[in-house]
Amino acid sequence: MPSAREGAHRTPSLRGLSYRFAVRTDDERLGHLVDAVLAGLRDTGDTAPVEHWYSLTSSDRAGTVDVRRDDEEIARRQRPGDAVGWVVWDVNRSAAEASGDHLLFHAGALEAGGTGVLVPGASGSGKSTLVAGLVRAGLGYLTDELAAYDMAHGMLVPYPKPITVKPGSFAALADMDPARPGGTGSGGAWTGEEWQVTVGEGTGRLIGRPCEPGFVVVPRYDPGAETALTRLSDTEAFFALAVNAVNLLPHGSTATEALGRLAAGCRCYALAMSDLDEACRLVAGLVAEAGAAAPGGGARGH
Amino acid sequence: MGTEWPDGGARPARRDGAATVPLDDNVALYDEVGQLMILLNPSAAAVWELCDGTRTLDEIGHALAEAHGATDADAAVIGDDVRLTVHKLADLGLVVEAGP
Repeated sequence: MPSAREGAHRTPSLRGLSYRFAVRTDDERLGHLVDAVLAGLRDTGDTAPVEHWYSLTSSDRAGTVDVRRDDEEIARRQRPGDAVGWVVWDVNRSAAEASGDHLLFHAGALEAGGTGVLVPGASGSGKSTLVAGLVRAGLGYLTDELAAYDMAHGMLVPYPKPITVKPGSFAALADMDPARPGGTGSGGAWTGEEWQVTVGEGTGRLIGRPCEPGFVVVPRYDPGAETALTRLSDTEAFFALAVNAVNLLPHGSTATEALGRLAAGCRCYALAMSDLDEACRLVAGLVAEAGAAAPGGGARGH
Repeated sequence: MGTEWPDGGARPARRDGAATVPLDDNVALYDEVGQLMILLNPSAAAVWELCDGTRTLDEIGHALAEAHGATDADAAVIGDDVRLTVHKLADLGLVVEAGP
């Protein structure tokens, strides 16, 4: 079996939160796909060494790709896109494990004018779809699945993995289809049944900056509901965040206090969502209104 | 603590290791030891706050009854609620009998 140790293609150093990695492959075309899909995670300006290597190697079996992490074989996939998707999944898992002092949420996150919008929710709640729609509307992208809150500094930090779009959202985000000629999703990949949509320079989907959170929007996809925002009490917001906190127990009291600051310090809403465009209009309008109303462009408080 | 705890003379004390966060009129409480998070409603939060190890259960009940301007009948109900609340908090390991 050929080794990719001195592979034809290597990505630059990449980083998912505290997890530093890179990818090498013996297939130049696959290498360009990896470059595009993981472009948002380029570790610009940081000289810390790569800690983990993924190797994608064309197998003896036609069309399949062997996936290794640090020279340990971990998967074999029938299609190159699936192999890339597997790397994205493993990076997600690894970034969560290496979270350090960040409080992590099953949540999307965005930045608008220096203010963060946290979008917590379980799988199927519509958070990734809402994030994709808001990024399309011009908000800065921080993440779509794993939001990181730096408790010491009170900041949401970017984890700009590719946006994962599931089949239920294909129609609403059709322009992001990686296979669509002329669409904005070119450069991305179909991975199994999902899209991995690229972010960053040249994609039209801007990566946001670290920022203080000013809004919490808890989505609930309900095709029969009127799309509407409803204000949440501090108590409701606290528990909406708590049930979506990934690493609450290890951080215990510190995390509890951080949740309290988020619930009380942000404007928190439930979003019943049936129409994506209307949902994005409401959320973008909320953020814009707060930015216009606050001196200096902030969006803090109630 | 026996099955009848707390009686009126018991002096309940909050156990160390709990972080509290005020939320509206409620209090979220995270217990580091038991890795438990609960929400105290306003009544329970008031009881929790008074469990400082110096007041007896009866004194806690009297303090809350006075704060609410309760009649004698209501004060008795408040006293029962306080006892039930403290008992529940003790079951959760959040309150203990204060030392002598």
